[in-house]
Amino acid sequence: MASFVRFVRLAVGACAFLLVIAASVPCNAQQVNPTASSVKEQQLLQELNRIQGRVSIPDQRSGVLEQPAGRDWREFRNVTLRWIGGIAILGTIAVMVIFYLTRGMVRLESGRSGRTLVRFTAFERFVHWITATCFIVLAISGLNITFGRPLLLPLIGFEAFSEWSQWAKYAHIYLSFPFTIGVVLIFLMWIAGNIPNKVDVDWLKRGGGIVGHDHPPAYRFNAGQKAIYWIVVIGGGAVAVTGYALMFPFYLSGIEGMQLAQIVHSIVAVLFIAAMMAHIYIGTIGMEGAFDAMGTGEVDLNWAKEHHSLWVEEEQAKGHTPSGSTPRPIAAE
Amino acid sequence: MKVFLAALLFAAIVAIGVSILLEAIQEPSYVAFSTGGARVGNPGHNLVGPNG
Repeated sequence: MASFVRFVRLAVGACAFLLVIAASVPCNAQQVNPTASSVKEQQLLQELNRIQGRVSIPDQRSGVLEQPAGRDWREFRNVTLRWIGGIAILGTIAVMVIFYLTRGMVRLESGRSGRTLVRFTAFERFVHWITATCFIVLAISGLNITFGRPLLLPLIGFEAFSEWSQWAKYAHIYLSFPFTIGVVLIFLMWIAGNIPNKVDVDWLKRGGGIVGHDHPPAYRFNAGQKAIYWIVVIGGGAVAVTGYALMFPFYLSGIEGMQLAQIVHSIVAVLFIAAMMAHIYIGTIGMEGAFDAMGTGEVDLNWAKEHHSLWVEEEQAKGHTPSGSTPRPIAAE
Repeated sequence: MKVFLAALLFAAIVAIGVSILLEAIQEPSYVAFSTGGARVGNPGHNLVGPNG
């Protein structure tokens, strides 16, 4: 009897031991994880990338409720862009003012000869002035879109700012078309004379003669002018393409494409404005005799010899003689 | 000066021409994005309200 009891105690003990072992081993069929289907943190953060649902109206894009990249874009548009534009434009103005006060106007050292050479034809000037006048209006109306609300609105009030901004927006939209026509014509008209070459390398090494009294030789367009040409063609092309993408929203892309178009359009535009201010400076008060080229189309022969000596040689080889005459001394009676 | 004025005139003519063309071919969004089942009228010009 005692041995039987001992056997039973041994069996119960073994079973209990086995039960403890079994209980400590995970068993899929029996164990329930109460948090298995709850949202994990990473999943939650990924869901916030885009909040969207189903909509019944035809414009399916309205189903996107929130696109957090839009917050980044808003930060760019309201903060970053204003810094970039402010530094580029005000910085360029500051540099030009300092330069003018120290270097002054680049003078025509040998004086005017009274004889002129045709530099730009009427058509070339026509195309330039279409592009230039449209650019001025586009620049001012475009800057209003970025800086108008913080800078102009406090000065003139809501009513005036609203009225002005409406007209500025219409001007910006509609004048973009003649501006684009001008850029395309400029590209076609002057591509032949704006291919960089070795003469440009030498011209750049000598700083274009902007400091001191050096006059490095140049053909019809010097390296600085070629730089302006390519800025106009490439920059103008970029603002035109992105501008039309913005003007016809969602024709070419979704919201991300529209944000990218605005970023490219605005950054290229402010840098373009800074570059054109330098161009306007040198073509007006920065250099004596420069404006004549786009004003009347004819430049003084001495001006041409000082700044575009190789071009003068080419013109003379073609038989284009300077017009006008040197002033003759009046014979004494 | 004549060339400059001609350029201004050309730009103005192109701009006005484009405005007329776009006015003719474009629809307002409340027309473009509505169907027979969605009655969407002209929302007017003041979407903010009388008090601004």
